[in-house]
Amino acid sequence: MPRGFSLEVRRAYWELLRKSRNRPQEQRAELLHDIWRKSPLKSRTPWREQEFLVVDAETSGLQVKDSELLSLGWVVIRDGRVPLQSARHILIRPEKGVGESATVHQLRDCELEEGMTEAEALLELLQAACGRVLVFHHAPLDMAFLNRACWRSFRLPLLMPVVDTMAIEKRTLEHKHVPLVRNTLRLSTCCSRYGLPPGTVHNALSDALATAQLLLAQVAHKGGDVRLGDLL
Amino acid sequence: MNEETRHNPELNAIREFLTQCIPFDQLSDRELDAILPSLEVTYFRRGHVFKPDDDGGLRIVRSGAAELRTESGQLVDRFGEAVSFNLRGLAQEQPDIRATLIEDSLIYLVPEARYQELRKEHREFDRFFHSQRSRRVRRAARREDASSEMTRGIRDIMSQRLITVSPNQSIQFTAQRMTEHRVSSVLVMEGEALRGIVTDRDLRSRAVAEAIDMSRPIADIMTAAPETLCSDATLFDATLFMTQKGYHHIPVADRNPDAAGESDCCTGKVLGILTSSDLMLARRNDPVHMVQHLGRKRSAAEIKGILSAIPDLLIQWAEAGTRVHQVSHMLTAISDAVTIRLIRLAEEELGPPPAPYCWLGFGSQGREEQLLGGDQDNALVIADSVREQDLEWYRQLSKRVCDGLDECGYIYCPGGIMATTDEWRQPLRNWRETVDRWSRSPTADALMRVSIFFDIRPVYGDEQLGLQLQQHMLQRTRGNSIFLAALAENVLDSPPPLGIFRRFVVEHDGEHRDQLNLKKRAVIPIVDIVRIHALANGLPQVNTFARLKALAESRSMSISDSRNLQDALQVIMQTRLEAQAQQLVAGQRTSNYLNPDELSKLVRKQLRDAFGVVKDAQQTVRLRYRPGL
Repeated sequence: MPRGFSLEVRRAYWELLRKSRNRPQEQRAELLHDIWRKSPLKSRTPWREQEFLVVDAETSGLQVKDSELLSLGWVVIRDGRVPLQSARHILIRPEKGVGESATVHQLRDCELEEGMTEAEALLELLQAACGRVLVFHHAPLDMAFLNRACWRSFRLPLLMPVVDTMAIEKRTLEHKHVPLVRNTLRLSTCCSRYGLPPGTVHNALSDALATAQLLLAQVAHKGGDVRLGDLL
Repeated sequence: MNEETRHNPELNAIREFLTQCIPFDQLSDRELDAILPSLEVTYFRRGHVFKPDDDGGLRIVRSGAAELRTESGQLVDRFGEAVSFNLRGLAQEQPDIRATLIEDSLIYLVPEARYQELRKEHREFDRFFHSQRSRRVRRAARREDASSEMTRGIRDIMSQRLITVSPNQSIQFTAQRMTEHRVSSVLVMEGEALRGIVTDRDLRSRAVAEAIDMSRPIADIMTAAPETLCSDATLFDATLFMTQKGYHHIPVADRNPDAAGESDCCTGKVLGILTSSDLMLARRNDPVHMVQHLGRKRSAAEIKGILSAIPDLLIQWAEAGTRVHQVSHMLTAISDAVTIRLIRLAEEELGPPPAPYCWLGFGSQGREEQLLGGDQDNALVIADSVREQDLEWYRQLSKRVCDGLDECGYIYCPGGIMATTDEWRQPLRNWRETVDRWSRSPTADALMRVSIFFDIRPVYGDEQLGLQLQQHMLQRTRGNSIFLAALAENVLDSPPPLGIFRRFVVEHDGEHRDQLNLKKRAVIPIVDIVRIHALANGLPQVNTFARLKALAESRSMSISDSRNLQDALQVIMQTRLEAQAQQLVAGQRTSNYLNPDELSKLVRKQLRDAFGVVKDAQQTVRLRYRPGL
């Protein structure tokens, strides 16, 4: 997964964005262009000076090919804090039913009927992500779904710098030679390792908040001047 | 940016948490929802220090722990989850206040502006932080830690009562004067000028051992031109000086205003004398010394003076987290010492007792479960050999002791359970008849009046008399189903304090409206329950914890029931101790009342659990003893 991009990748993506702007049916790709332009990511940036958007997605399954996005939740980290004012929770109207996964995230079809379309949800997420670094716990899964949504809307992948709290935790534990067993890297297990309150039910917003708190704790435990590059 | 205030039911967990934080529990759900968006989540490592001039705001500990200290390191408060603090507010009375995290902590921050808005909008909310501030600061002001103890000036420790003789007075006269004033040293003065000092030891080694003529002037054996301590010296200076030089007595003098330079300048007016026992006594915070010194006091008024240190002790113990049964053990040891001292003083006055007797303690003193503010419950059992005409001696003794106890703060028993009541001051054979009467045809009402009699402990005198009476009582009560049923009726009469209003039953009228009487509603029910089990099984223990342990050991009660009741009593008593300490800090009179609203979430939960245990135990009593009726 993206941990910074090579110059070649940047150039190629930029070219893609530039071309898509000229295609009238994809005017909305303007937004992706904006995001890319406003992400002057410097790995030397002190982490407090960088804003983050901590996101969690609930899906109807773990396989991208036969599952759908059901909800998104996020909070912002600004100046090393999480202002709860930034909390946002979005329900997404699925094209198919929720199926078995309702038992995990407690989202029912009737509630989701009131939600927005995946494209609308993505648009709002991208607006919030502008100028910020995305944060997930286990980023590959969430990013796979977001990437597909992005592809559907813009015919383009979502290429953004991403911080993965699970990867950070994995590196830390490996550094300490802690054996990784089942559940070691689960969000709730990671949170309790730092004495953070356990999340309640599976819910995109409360998991996003838990992930944000986990990142704050991880950064605090790194100590010293933590820079953006230390997290990517 | 899409950050407009939005209602997010997904943040329920945080709202839920806030409802468990005082005083946020006073706010409605709607009001809490309005606060949520303004919260900011922060995380800091252990050791992080917050100062008042940081960016302000109310900090709520979500997880972790913190302590408040003054810059000089004096501890003001220590707390954990669900407690909040606003340093700017605290700094108004304690400018150098600091909050230090003692664990890694997740902290919710209500920004200063929003916090001030909340205080304006909600009176209850505002009042809480106002009172919290003054409470914490008062406590800080009142605390004397060990180091400040040693920096006390000696002026208020030394004896200012100067016993003096002049140099030409005789050795014998000096000895008589010392005996008369019960002192172990005198100063030899010529007018205002200090010429020497004479101690008990000088009289022994320089006069008696040398067989000197007792009519010779005292100047012959005194220590001439003794060293003095300056009146502005500290307890530390004095202790160091006296232990280094091996002095037990030293005169204290003013600085001489005429003397030049620092050295040898304490030759001014003699102000007092400091003895090594004064130094010991100055260590007021030591209960052992307190008990020792009680034994030297000559009157109830003097005893009361020593007891004035108890509140400070109690605060210290409570803050140090001393277990409550240790605290009540020490307080009982002190009240025993007071009782014994008063009895000895009365005996000195009345002459030796005409026949052996035993002073008995009942109730909380008997059970060694005293805290502050208890009344006195006592009685006298006299040997059967006593003659009718000698009974007056015991009446006189009881009057002096009970009056003295009352003067010292152990107030008269409202129910008259005192040695001054004729029924509670009898020869052993009469006592036996009284016990027989109580146990043969008991009425619940009569038993309630005398129930504390069954928590009996000899305090002074011929212990055998007390033990014989107790044995007789246990023989009469063990397995006595009629008696036990009558006792059980009283147990069931006091309802468990689980109630409707905030799930606590509080008092509905009088001075303590909306408060919970922990002693009446929680301690006494447990004591009553345990007493009935102990009596039914003929156990000689009186302390409730000891009774519970003995009940479990003798298999008269299941181990888990015994443990549950011990834990419940421990929680309730500990809460009561801490409440009393807080009342003392706030400068209030100690009582057994507390306001359930002021309890922390954790303590509330513990109390509720404890009350649940009491309720179950009452059920057991109902099932086991009531059918006897």
